[in-house]
Amino acid sequence: MIDKSYDIIKAEALEKTYEDNGVPVKALRGVDLEIKKGEFLSIVGPSGSGKTTLLNIISGLDDPSKGEVYLNNKLISSMSGRELSDFRRDNIGFIFQSHNLIPVLSVEENIEYIMLLQRVPKEERHKRVENILRDVGLEGFADRFPTQLSGGQQQRVAIARAMVSRPALILADEPTASLDSKTGSELLDIMRSLNEKRDMTFIFSTHDKLVMDKARRLIVLKDGQIESDEVKK
Amino acid sequence: MVILKIAFRNIFRQKRRTLLTALTMFGGFTLAAISIGWSEGTYSYTIDMFTRNQMGHIQIHGKGYLDKPTLYNTIYNYRQIGENISHLENLEAWCPRLYSSGLASVSEKSAGVRIIGIDPVLENSATRFEKKIIEGKTFSNKTSHEVILGSGLMEILEAGIGDSVVVVSQAADGSIANDIYEITGIVESGDDFSDRSSFYLHIANAQELFVLDQRVHEIAIIAEELRDVEGLVRSIRSEIGSPDVSIQPWKEFAKQFYVAMQADKQGGWIMIFIIILIVAVGVLNTVLMTVLERIREYGVLRALGTRPAQIFRMILIETNFIAAGSILVGLIASTIINYLLSINGISIGESITYGGVQFTKMYSEVNAMSLYVPAITVVITTSLVSIFPAIKAARTSPSKAMRIH
Repeated sequence: MIDKSYDIIKAEALEKTYEDNGVPVKALRGVDLEIKKGEFLSIVGPSGSGKTTLLNIISGLDDPSKGEVYLNNKLISSMSGRELSDFRRDNIGFIFQSHNLIPVLSVEENIEYIMLLQRVPKEERHKRVENILRDVGLEGFADRFPTQLSGGQQQRVAIARAMVSRPALILADEPTASLDSKTGSELLDIMRSLNEKRDMTFIFSTHDKLVMDKARRLIVLKDGQIESDEVKK
Repeated sequence: MVILKIAFRNIFRQKRRTLLTALTMFGGFTLAAISIGWSEGTYSYTIDMFTRNQMGHIQIHGKGYLDKPTLYNTIYNYRQIGENISHLENLEAWCPRLYSSGLASVSEKSAGVRIIGIDPVLENSATRFEKKIIEGKTFSNKTSHEVILGSGLMEILEAGIGDSVVVVSQAADGSIANDIYEITGIVESGDDFSDRSSFYLHIANAQELFVLDQRVHEIAIIAEELRDVEGLVRSIRSEIGSPDVSIQPWKEFAKQFYVAMQADKQGGWIMIFIIILIVAVGVLNTVLMTVLERIREYGVLRALGTRPAQIFRMILIETNFIAAGSILVGLIASTIINYLLSINGISIGESITYGGVQFTKMYSEVNAMSLYVPAITVVITTSLVSIFPAIKAARTSPSKAMRIH
């Protein structure tokens, strides 16, 4: 048996089959994966290779058809809906491909949303929001609403929201897709610095070469299976 | 707190849809409030007219009189009783009555009559007796040997004002009671059946005719308000405290009328049920539409760690915010409408008779029930129909929801 205490994620023999108009489609075919705390890795592969499905399953957003996932040594399938919600709230930050900000909340409120659920004291919340807004270059935007921001600015808010509660793991699905290369590079540098300073684990699903270059580990998925798993030097 | 904030702000996202939902709730509330106010007002008015015009709100009889009315079961010290209770709070008026039956004749025409001995002054203060006299006048004094007949009886006897009428009956001492009286007035109470037999005598004449000196069969009491009746009954019982008399509110001595009114009242709830259905369908439709439209958003909230129960609460809070606003506006509108209808009433065209009382207008009523019943109904209906969409939203699978564009 492998000692799971060193792994923030351990996935064993993951399989996922979808029904597409009654036809079973295999999105994952026996994926085994171990991700150590503090890793900065990219999962790459062509469309339909199973990247988003893998991210969804290892974060507990979706259930595998077969196999098990351990997150911080906890078996996801053993958690109730409420436990899983609390676990995600306290341990995982999400950066979605299409921002997914809450339209009725301001930038500041969107960023502090998870901290509000965690009941972080007001002063601490404001301090952290102020700092993260400076880090992502959105000082002075706190009171704006998502519809008043460009796509790039919205993605910065989404990144800030994912990082501000200081989760152990950040999952990012195509985080630079709607950003220009300069902004994308800046944000990746911020994420990498957080990874180094705070030992936060980052997992990207991407097509972006920039992200692949910055990653320290590269997992290539093809047809629902890991084709290669390379740790850069 | 953040859930409350999102729920509140969500109200203003689709203003037209919110307005539509609010209008459904407002319409339901206002219709229900007016319906209840109208029904309560009509019943209160009918009961008040029925009791004030004829029977009184409370009656005092000799024990067992109502079960078996006889000439001999009388109240002796009625003046003393009247004086003792007249100071009681919420008592507006009281009047004594003596009842018997007999045969009345004018020339060759005869009819069975119900003889009612009344004190004209006390009767007038209690049941507005003089207002019922459609022709002629009331009694001039207690020794005048005058009679006032019901309009139907006048027709049967083919009599007119000033004619003499002979009445024959049996007195309390076993003798034949007979006398001759001059017709001085015609009464129309609105109750045709009663008007075909009413034979009103001055109470002194009636006591003399039936050899019932200082005795009566009934003391009718009028309360200031219908709602004071139960309390007044208790006060009278403690004031009189005699086991020889029974003191009953109108619900007991006019039980059939009360039961009929209650049964009629139940019909009003059908209207409320229809209103609930309209509100339920309207609210369910818009809430379900909203939830389906925001399913991706709920998926994101779930992914961020929002508990299913928090999303469930968010939807219920949002719909109840709209309900609260609608109820507030409905409260103002329905109170104004009910108030105007309670002052001006609505003319019902041709008059109708209910419980022996004629009505030409009906009135609404402003009361707490017409406000809290619709308010509770709207809140409960809204919450109940929101449960299904709220469960749907709370159970949203984040991964599936975020695939929806």
